[in-house]
Amino acid sequence: MNAPVIAARGLRKRYKGQEALAGTDFDIPRGRIVGLIGPNGAGKTTALKAMLGLIPFDGQLSVLGLDPRTQRDALMRDVCFIADVAVLPRWISVAQAIDFVEGVHPKFDRKKCEAYLAKTKLTPKMKVKQMSKGMIVQLHLALVMSIDAQLLVLDEPTLGLDIIYRKQFYHDLLEQYFDENKTILITTHQVEEVEHILSDLLFIRDGRISLAASMDEVGERFSEVMVTPALADQARALKPLDERQVFGKFVFLFDGIPRAQLLELGEVRTPGVADVFVATMKGTYQ
Amino acid sequence: MSVTWNDNTPIYLQLKERVVTMLLDGLLKPGEALPSVRQIAAEYQLNPITVSRAYQELTDESLIEKRRGLGMYVSEGAPQKLLNSERERFLREEWPAMLTRIERLGLSLDNLLQLAKKERAE
Repeated sequence: MNAPVIAARGLRKRYKGQEALAGTDFDIPRGRIVGLIGPNGAGKTTALKAMLGLIPFDGQLSVLGLDPRTQRDALMRDVCFIADVAVLPRWISVAQAIDFVEGVHPKFDRKKCEAYLAKTKLTPKMKVKQMSKGMIVQLHLALVMSIDAQLLVLDEPTLGLDIIYRKQFYHDLLEQYFDENKTILITTHQVEEVEHILSDLLFIRDGRISLAASMDEVGERFSEVMVTPALADQARALKPLDERQVFGKFVFLFDGIPRAQLLELGEVRTPGVADVFVATMKGTYQ
Repeated sequence: MSVTWNDNTPIYLQLKERVVTMLLDGLLKPGEALPSVRQIAAEYQLNPITVSRAYQELTDESLIEKRRGLGMYVSEGAPQKLLNSERERFLREEWPAMLTRIERLGLSLDNLLQLAKKERAE
């Protein structure tokens, strides 16, 4: 039960000389909601594809104790996936989609799916081509939440949705799906939206995991201090990750400096995940 | 629901404070059922661990209690217990600071007391 749901060692993937994953290590424990966050081109989607057995790769990768390269069929019984590009065929109706998933997936619960859909504006006869982007995601979520899988992978699940659909998406996921035996892996650019939902954070940069920590650890490690110009050099000596200027004061972001020490320099606050992300990814596009 | 959390206090403590305020304001009464961890997590878009931690703190202080198979409930003596601890905190933390300020402003306690009595009479 304590074995990680996903364990990667020296995970490497090369596309025609371009290294998308540069031999990286990480673990994802069970019962967590993990955010895999990185700039465009950092290797997020490649990592997800490797986990789902959609691409060949080098190194070791175990998902639910299975090798995605050779045991993909067994793996797919316990893994669900929602991609940022909606992959439901445009001609399919809600009823047909339910019939299809029931036919192919042994762990699908039709009643649960229908009960969920009853609360939406979707009707059995409605076809995907008649749906808005938000409705397609709703249908997708209904199908996926009704499968009793152990691992749910969400790749930019709320991309292009309005704020009502986005809130509803995470609301339903927390209320009706997640429990301590399930694990959810989310990639997203909308960090602020998920930061309180996450239990763990994985930052990826240039094909490597650059930060792996629980949210508690993130809160303990990173601090932001507002410093008057007179003390700025003293703050710089502690090697901040980032510095910016606000209203004539300097704001420094530190990793791993004890709070007590920083309090001598000025007002200390816990930075948001977005602040930490921007600071640690500096120079990515240069 | 849209809630803003501040960055300086862990969210589980802010959540706990919310429940405490509701208890003090009488919005939650002894014996009343509390929403489940799952409901709160969904409503406020929080990790369930965060919510459990807030409930754990409130349980440790005997303000709420778990009833097996039923969920969380406000404890019978919760309002009284809170009132006592809030009074203690006021006398320990807020009152000395207030007293210092009163003295610094050159006001006398007797005068203030009389003013307060007069206001109440009106």
